[in-house]
Amino acid sequence: MTERLFLSGNEAIVYGAIDAGCRFYAGYPITPSSEIMHLMAKELPRVGGVFIQAEDELAAINMIIGASWAGLKSMTATSGPGFSLMQEGIGYAVMTETPLVIVDVMRAGPATGQATKSAQGDLMQARWGRHGDQYLVVIAPMTPQEAYDLIIEAFNIAEAYRVPVVFLMDEFIGHGREIVVRRGADKLVVRRKPSDHEPPFGSKDPRIPPPMPRLGEGHYVLVTGSTHNEWGYRDVHGFETHYKLVTRLKEKIWDNIDKIFKYKVYGDPDARRIIVCFGSTCRPAIDAAERVGGTKVLRLITLWPLNYDKLAEELSGAGKVVVPELNLGQLVYDVAQVYPRSKIRVINKVGGGIPIYPSEIIKVLEA
Amino acid sequence: MRSAGFLGMGGQGIVFAATVLGETLYRLGYYVAQLQNYGASVRGGAVYGYVVFDEDEIVNPFIEELEVLVILHEQGRRRWENIVRKSEKIIYDKDLVNPVKNGIAMPIAEEADKHGVYRAMNMVALGIASRILGVKGIDEAVDEVLRSRKNYELNIKAYGIGLELAERARI
Amino acid sequence: MAEHFGLKYLRKEVLPTAFCPGCYNGILMNALFQAFMELGIEDLKRFVFVSGIGCSSWIPSPFIKADSLHTLHGRAIPVATGVKLANPELNVIVIGGDGDLASIGGNHLLHAARRNMDLLVIMINNQVYGMTRGQAAPTTPHGMITPTTPYGNPERPMDVASIIAGTNANYVARWCISQYIPLKNSIKDALSRYSRGFRFIEVYAPCVTYVVRREGKTPGEKLKELMKKCIRIETWKNMSREEREKHVATGVFKAEDKPGFIETYNKYIAQALGEK
Ligand SMILES: Cc1ncc(C[n+]2csc(CCOP(=O)(O)OP(=O)(O)O)c2C)c(N)n1
Ligand SMILES: [Mg+2]
Repeated sequence: MTERLFLSGNEAIVYGAIDAGCRFYAGYPITPSSEIMHLMAKELPRVGGVFIQAEDELAAINMIIGASWAGLKSMTATSGPGFSLMQEGIGYAVMTETPLVIVDVMRAGPATGQATKSAQGDLMQARWGRHGDQYLVVIAPMTPQEAYDLIIEAFNIAEAYRVPVVFLMDEFIGHGREIVVRRGADKLVVRRKPSDHEPPFGSKDPRIPPPMPRLGEGHYVLVTGSTHNEWGYRDVHGFETHYKLVTRLKEKIWDNIDKIFKYKVYGDPDARRIIVCFGSTCRPAIDAAERVGGTKVLRLITLWPLNYDKLAEELSGAGKVVVPELNLGQLVYDVAQVYPRSKIRVINKVGGGIPIYPSEIIKVLEA
Repeated sequence: MRSAGFLGMGGQGIVFAATVLGETLYRLGYYVAQLQNYGASVRGGAVYGYVVFDEDEIVNPFIEELEVLVILHEQGRRRWENIVRKSEKIIYDKDLVNPVKNGIAMPIAEEADKHGVYRAMNMVALGIASRILGVKGIDEAVDEVLRSRKNYELNIKAYGIGLELAERARI
Repeated sequence: MAEHFGLKYLRKEVLPTAFCPGCYNGILMNALFQAFMELGIEDLKRFVFVSGIGCSSWIPSPFIKADSLHTLHGRAIPVATGVKLANPELNVIVIGGDGDLASIGGNHLLHAARRNMDLLVIMINNQVYGMTRGQAAPTTPHGMITPTTPYGNPERPMDVASIIAGTNANYVARWCISQYIPLKNSIKDALSRYSRGFRFIEVYAPCVTYVVRREGKTPGEKLKELMKKCIRIETWKNMSREEREKHVATGVFKAEDKPGFIETYNKYIAQALGEK
């Protein structure tokens, strides 16, 4: 059943998540993400799911971890300050291979910053916000329609790779309302349960995530955020166990990069003038490229893991590279890994809820 | 791509006006994007809400040049100078906003007050924008949207006043 | 010789436990297992144990043969809440330290109690942060010397059981580790007569390494002292302030059987949506 709706990105996320099979939500109110929570409170019980308002974001992230182990697809949504509070829990989810979806509707920070104003300043935090060596997946939609489509994808990735997925959206998408076609999920990944002989925290081929037992089914599963062997037994001393575990957790993501990493090219694919962007900023970029011609737009959908080889390939032979961001420069570090920093032109703007306009991009393109 | 927006201050119902316009155009079958910028508090502060629409999918809703812009408060005008400077058809309240170059002053607040719908000044603004846009079937669709919301009588009356104001000014 | 009744609830391959010689955690485990046995619980397949970080949090993980989640420091209760809400059929038990549950996780404890969340929480009050070498905890006695209170603890201890009794929690009790039988019976009650809503049992058991041995006592001598020091709450209430400070009030602070969070949540949804 396909419905054509007029929704904000925040509302689209709720319907996408429900269509992806999400049945548990815990959260704590924060602008500009609260509409997700309000709608979840209303919609989840209607599909037999459970909603709870947590006492803080520390509780929210940990509640969804518990619910995920009990067998429900689970998510939370927040913004900067709450996302900061969730970091330790997200690290725990990485270490215990707990599928989760965490939506961060970005606002201008640091600290309380500007609660209602859009920004893209959490890119680095989404990737690196936790202590220790840890790898997860970060996805960024560009429109409310994509908020719907890609949140389904986020749940699929979380389930397929047993990993938390950060859904990095910004306020413009969260609060902007557009036509959203609720088309349902093409495909849903079903969690694989282990047989008696399959360890829940190890696999011979690191590209194949281990199966995930469900609590209460007699697996006597040991879940721990401390270093553990493939059966979940703690080993807080040995080099081997630790190195093997964190390496596998990294390879589980990076060695599947061809399957996980997605990007899209707009404008003139052969142009030497290239804009690299993510999220809502890509829309004025595509507009600018169409207006002036001779410009390619490279839009990253997956922000982590990032396929630097692909990025290099797309930028090979580039003349001018422009990186517009609603922050003081974060994505530019990725571009600079494959292209000389001195030739990259940046457009950085943040605060006040003012977008980067096509005119500003055109000015830099033509300068 | 066509567009219309509203500028004012918190409490004037700017976002609501944009929401109703957005929903109206959605009902008429257009691709619509509705965006807004407002403070955390309900009252005070500049508020901006606008809608872009098209028969095709919208590439980019982040634009500075609006086809129609109705300004209801000086706070909004000052904060969004770039939009005011670049927009095409600008209507502003003759009492609440300082003169805008190339804009048309209208007694929006005054008329709203006279007819007892001061609270729904935003709907007067919507009426004006709607008449200028001249989209086929828009009045019926607005009526439908307003019926689904609170204060229908008040809002539809104010909307009518806006239509009339625009007609009288022949824009 | 017959096997000890507790062994069937343990993962034998990880024994002996990692606790210090004489650690009172062993007594608590015994009481817990005896309660299971007396309730006729054959195995713990439908039980989930959730703990945080600390010595006490090691009781379930890895020693108890059941599903267990050894979570972050302070976060056992929210994880347990998620498990219980996602599958209300499971019996969810939180075991943790005073630092874990009353300090870093204090907010969660308070709110789970306020919600009357359907969980059993057993808190080991050993008066210190045992795992990190005996620093002051919110339960550390006034004046006590620890690595972080080298001149004496200027703070007064938190009466956790009384605080939780002041919430909507259904069942609240405190026992000293020397009161084995009432402790075991209390655990039984919290799993049978009072099997819904929030149930909280505080177990007063000074850390043998960082409290008892620092006092120059053996664990055995301390147990004898506790037998005198721990008195029933009714007796304690009639004491002078000075006398009260020298004793530990124990007993059942509260025992009710109100519907827990899950029943209430489901009731409201059924009323509104007319199903379930
Ligand atoms: C966020 C965080 N802060 C600090 C620590 C270090 N830490 C580990 S256990 C512990 C205290 C444990 O005390 P308690 O909960 O009373 O347990 P006990 O060892 O006394 O049984 C601390 C502070 C940690 N693991 N995580
Ligand atoms: Mg302790």
